[in-house]
Amino acid sequence: MSAHTSEPMSALTSNLTRRHFLQGSAMAGFATFLAACGTPGTGGSAAPSAGASDGSAATAGPSASGATGGSGATELRFANWIGYIDIADDGTYPTIKKFEAESGVKVTYLESINANDEFFASNLSAPLTAGKPTDWDLVVMTDWMIGRLIRLGWLEAIDKTNTPNFVANLGPNYVGRSFDPDTKFAAPWQSGMTGLAFDQKVTGALTSLGILYTDQYKGKVTYLSEMRDAVGLTALDLGTDPATITAPQFEAALAAVGTAIKAGIVRQMTGNSYVEMMASGDVVLAMGWSGDVLGLLVPDQTASQDFQWALAQEGGMLWTDNMAIPLGSPNKVAAEKWIDFYYEPVNAATIEAYVNYVCPVVGAKEVMLETNPELANNPLIFPPADWIARLHQFRATTAEEETAWDEAFTKIMGL
Amino acid sequence: MRRALNFRTIAPYALLAPGMLWLAVFYVYPAIQMFLVSLWTGNINDGFHQTWNWAIYPQAIQEYWPWIARSIVYGGLATILAFCLGFPLAYAIAFRGGAYKNLLLFMVIAPFFTSFLLRTISWKIILSDNGLVLGPLKTLGVIPADFQLLATPAAIIAGITYNFLPFMTLPLYVALEKIDRRLIEAAQDLYAGPWRPRGTFVGLLLGGLLGATIGVVMGYGALPLGIPGLVGGGLIGTFLISEALIKIVIPLALPGIFAGSLLTFIPAMGDYINAELLGNPQSLMIGNVIQARYLKVTDYPTASALSFILMAAILIGVILYARMLGTEELT
Repeated sequence: MSAHTSEPMSALTSNLTRRHFLQGSAMAGFATFLAACGTPGTGGSAAPSAGASDGSAATAGPSASGATGGSGATELRFANWIGYIDIADDGTYPTIKKFEAESGVKVTYLESINANDEFFASNLSAPLTAGKPTDWDLVVMTDWMIGRLIRLGWLEAIDKTNTPNFVANLGPNYVGRSFDPDTKFAAPWQSGMTGLAFDQKVTGALTSLGILYTDQYKGKVTYLSEMRDAVGLTALDLGTDPATITAPQFEAALAAVGTAIKAGIVRQMTGNSYVEMMASGDVVLAMGWSGDVLGLLVPDQTASQDFQWALAQEGGMLWTDNMAIPLGSPNKVAAEKWIDFYYEPVNAATIEAYVNYVCPVVGAKEVMLETNPELANNPLIFPPADWIARLHQFRATTAEEETAWDEAFTKIMGL
Repeated sequence: MRRALNFRTIAPYALLAPGMLWLAVFYVYPAIQMFLVSLWTGNINDGFHQTWNWAIYPQAIQEYWPWIARSIVYGGLATILAFCLGFPLAYAIAFRGGAYKNLLLFMVIAPFFTSFLLRTISWKIILSDNGLVLGPLKTLGVIPADFQLLATPAAIIAGITYNFLPFMTLPLYVALEKIDRRLIEAAQDLYAGPWRPRGTFVGLLLGGLLGATIGVVMGYGALPLGIPGLVGGGLIGTFLISEALIKIVIPLALPGIFAGSLLTFIPAMGDYINAELLGNPQSLMIGNVIQARYLKVTDYPTASALSFILMAAILIGVILYARMLGTEELT
């Protein structure tokens, strides 16, 4: 459920974190342009142009023989989102350094991912369509993109014998996810929740999603421009579980979103720019991400402060960014070493203290209780059991559904 | 007799070569690629195949003409507004700038030292519902409390106008600067005075039309902006426009007007940052559609086809415009 649409707004904030980075439309647009043009040498060349124009199987992806699924264990090229790992004052990554020292693997860690769709278009689809390995050994992508990559056969299976910590410490609510039922391809990195963000001094405390669809705050409400967030949350309001959503239920939820947009209730469809709009008073109620409240809206939030995030009584969405190994990576073993390293609670806790999203590693909370009890007891980082019971993950879509639903949703958004 | 290949014959081609090569690699090749992509059929899951699907062009036009039309209207209005702001500015710098010319020109360009994105974002702060502009007006009761500029077409057009104003001002300045002042003096000696009463009529007409059009496009109706436009245009036409300006300055400045309006209109029409940041779901432009088709829906053929349609629309517009202004004689 990616929260990571293009959000130029956040460039103004000094607190650059994973989804607070300038996920520039400009950059996405530039990448689009390059990709569309097939300009050579950008690494982002024509997504579909390679291989497909001659009619050769764009579907088949790299053949098993073409993908050399290597066993290299000395180098790791790791693409992640901005501000998604601990960074020291001198700009180095302490946890990466620790991993390098322990494993002997040389890590190239680059914050290359600004948006799932943009990264897919600029870094993955061209080489993988042509049956070549990508430039990466490990990438971090959101659930739905992982689902697409699995469907296309573009990921390496994680060798569980190399990752005992991953097997032992993966949080129970991450087991058996619909797009990766056997947890073969995706190792959760961080999760976030989608719920109600509101300006308490205007709206008072809110607990129910229904308010998003009334005209009480007409023109001062924003919805998320991510289909799985906006439609998922609306489905919950209609009493539908997004984890099992059917086509008619999707249509109903989509129609409700469309009605609110047409009626002028919705001011804009946003990524995380609703945060700044709330700060300026232009928006008082929004579909919002838990991490924004914790990381950006109000640091050290207390109950009395203006900006609040609530998991509604009808429920909320849980989305996850996952580590995955692109097909043909020559350094698969090194990638697995890193996954195993991350799933050691002490390492996950170190990163968590910096990143502040929902941690998927069992045991990290216990480590954190020692080092940083305040964060460890924050429900936005380690949601309690009754929250987890109310969190829903949007189900994996078929290829046809994904195309049709994305299409229908962009139409609703006025595109 | 064989002509010897000497330096004089080769020189023009040698000078052309780097530019042509640059264009070939970074414009012609990608454009051909994109054109080929536009004729594919398929989807990301089953793969794309070259099927020479020409039907995509009429389909794309039929489906997306409202966005194309909206882009032309927004881009066009922004260009006209930029001219209305840029011409007096360029005129003042060229004719009255004196010792401060360079400083004034620098100030025109200064915003370009900031990123385009940041400049647009700052509009969100300035135009915020209770911000610098609207806050005081609301306190004074000039506008209703629920009035907003952000997330409306008004904000988009204002944003585009602002962002591309220097592209209009600089060519106008260059053209005006070159004008020989003695021509204006000569015109005045030959009884070129205030342009009345024609100026009044033309001013009323153009001002009223522009105001009414902007009012309609922005959804406020023709009258609320048409009447101020009428009054303003009439006053300007009556008191500020001289016969020398109409008969000497503007004809001589035509190449600058032509260049400035193209440099403004072309990027303005393809712009999508302003619409994304300052608009609402009812006011998105064709650039936003292309981005969404490409990234969100992974519909590469339609995105490419729309890019070509946009290019063609601009090209046709430019040719018509060039005919109209008769630039052959001017350059």
